[in-house]
Amino acid sequence: MAAPCAGMAGRPLGKFLSCFRRTVAVRTGLRQFSASSMCRATTATERATSPWNLMAAVCLQRLPVISAESSPLEQRFRHMIQQMELEKSLLSDHELRLLEDAERMSRKQSDDYDSDEEDGGRDQDIVLAQDLDDSWEQKLKNFQPAPRVSADVDKDLSSVQRCLADSLVLLAEQQVGSGKLWLLPQAPWQEGETLRQTAERALASLPAAGFNATFLSNAPCGVYKYKLPKAARTDSSEGTKVFFFKAVLSDIAPTTAINAPFMWLQKSELQRYLKPAYMMKVERFILDL
Amino acid sequence: MNHVFQKLQASLTRQVFLMNQTLPLFRNTPSIQLPVWSSATSSERRYHSMPTHGIGSWKYLLSKKRTQKKKKDRHQMKQIVMATDSTYGTLNVKVSGYDMTLVERYTQYVHHLCNRLRINVSLCYALPTKTTEVMLMQEHGTKMFVDAVLKTHERVVQLNSLSTTVCPVFMDVLLKHQPEGVQLSVHEHTEADFKSRFKARPELQELMSHMNQ
Repeated sequence: MAAPCAGMAGRPLGKFLSCFRRTVAVRTGLRQFSASSMCRATTATERATSPWNLMAAVCLQRLPVISAESSPLEQRFRHMIQQMELEKSLLSDHELRLLEDAERMSRKQSDDYDSDEEDGGRDQDIVLAQDLDDSWEQKLKNFQPAPRVSADVDKDLSSVQRCLADSLVLLAEQQVGSGKLWLLPQAPWQEGETLRQTAERALASLPAAGFNATFLSNAPCGVYKYKLPKAARTDSSEGTKVFFFKAVLSDIAPTTAINAPFMWLQKSELQRYLKPAYMMKVERFILDL
Repeated sequence: MNHVFQKLQASLTRQVFLMNQTLPLFRNTPSIQLPVWSSATSSERRYHSMPTHGIGSWKYLLSKKRTQKKKKDRHQMKQIVMATDSTYGTLNVKVSGYDMTLVERYTQYVHHLCNRLRINVSLCYALPTKTTEVMLMQEHGTKMFVDAVLKTHERVVQLNSLSTTVCPVFMDVLLKHQPEGVQLSVHEHTEADFKSRFKARPELQELMSHMNQ
C-alpha cells in the first residue's frame, strides 16, 4: 500500500522565476567559450564576470514504499498495547450477532424448543453470522501479500525496487574532465535559464532515463565548489560550482535500459562511490530517515 | 456575677481610654489617611487598603474582545495571505486516508513539525468524513451486494507564509515520514475551499431564487 504524494500543483512559477533571475544575475559566471566582451556589449548593465563555471545537479530521491522494520523493543511494545486494547475493548455488532446465533442454535437443539417463544420476533436469518465469518476467512486466505524484502532485488544496485523500506538516491556515471565519475546527475548552466531549469535538463538528458520527478523547490539545497588544479587554471575559469536541487521520483516509464549507468543507493552506501570532498557536501542535505 | 460585670466595665473603660489616647497620634501622622467622618469607630470596612483586596476577582483576565464578538463574526473567513517573492501564500496541507488513527497521528506530526520549524500555522480543521460503499456483483445473478464500507477521513493544516527556504526541507521530512495508506497533498487555499466546509441550505436557496425571479 504505497502512498505517493499527490502533486503540489498550483504554485505560480512566474513569481519565483523572477526571484531567481535576480539572484542568478548576482552570481553569474560566464562559460569558457562565450566571449565576455560580446556579452558586455549586449547587456545594458555591467555584469560582474566571475571565473567560475556554473552547473546544476539533481538529487533525485525515491521515497520509501513500505514502512521501516520495527526494532524488537517496538515489536514488544506493540504486542503489549494490542493486548491491552483487546482486553479493554467492547464486543462489536458482528461479534454480538455471532454470540446470539450460537445461543439460538443451542436452544434449537434442546428438546423443548418452541419457535413461537422466540424473542424479539426477528426473522430467521438465511445467512448466519458464522457463515459470513467463514466466507471472510476464505477471502483472507486467498490474498497473498507481496514479500516485504526480497534479497536478490536488494543486491541489484540499479533497480528502483531495491530496499523498499529506505529512501534511495540516484547516482549516474558521467564524464567529468578526463575521466568518468559517479556523481549526482548534473548539467552545465546556460544563459537565459534558471538553475532549476538546468537541473531539470540534467535529469531529462540522462540516457534512457524516463524519470518523472517533482522538484521540491526553486532554491538549491546545497553547493559544491571544485577548484581546477593549478595547471589547468586560466583567467576565465578557476573552477566549477555545482548547485544541488532536490526532487522526488513520481513514477518511471517502463522503458529503462538494462545496462544504463545508474545506481540507486542508500545514504550509507554513497560513501563507497563518491569522492570524499564531494561526499562531505552532499551528505549534508540528504536526509536519511 | 457582680465582679465579672465590674471587670467587664473596667476593661471597656480601659479600651476607650486607650483609643482616645491613640487617636490623636493617628491624626498627626500624615501616612495613614483616615476619612474625616469616621471618628472612633473601627467598624468601617477599609477594604481597599486590606492586603487581600481583590483576591477573588478574575474579570480582568478576560480580554475585552470576547464580550464584543457578535455571533455572525465566528463564521467569517480568515484573510487569505498573498504570495510574495520569498514566501508562499496560504497553503492547505491535506492529509487523507481510510484509517482514522493514522490520519490523525500524521496530522499531529505535521503540526508539531511546523511548531518546531517555526512555521506559522493558522488553522487546523477536519473536513467531513466521506463514506464509500464498495459493491460487488453477485456470482450468479445481476444484483450488486455491499461488500465493504470505507470511510475516508480528511484533516487540513493551514499554513500562512511558508518561506521558500524552509519549504524543501519541510516537504522532504513530511514525505519521508508519510505512513502507508495516507495521502498527502499541498495546495493553495481558495474561497471555494472555505465554502465547501459549510452545508448547503436548499430551502434558503429556493427562497432566494423565488425572490430573484
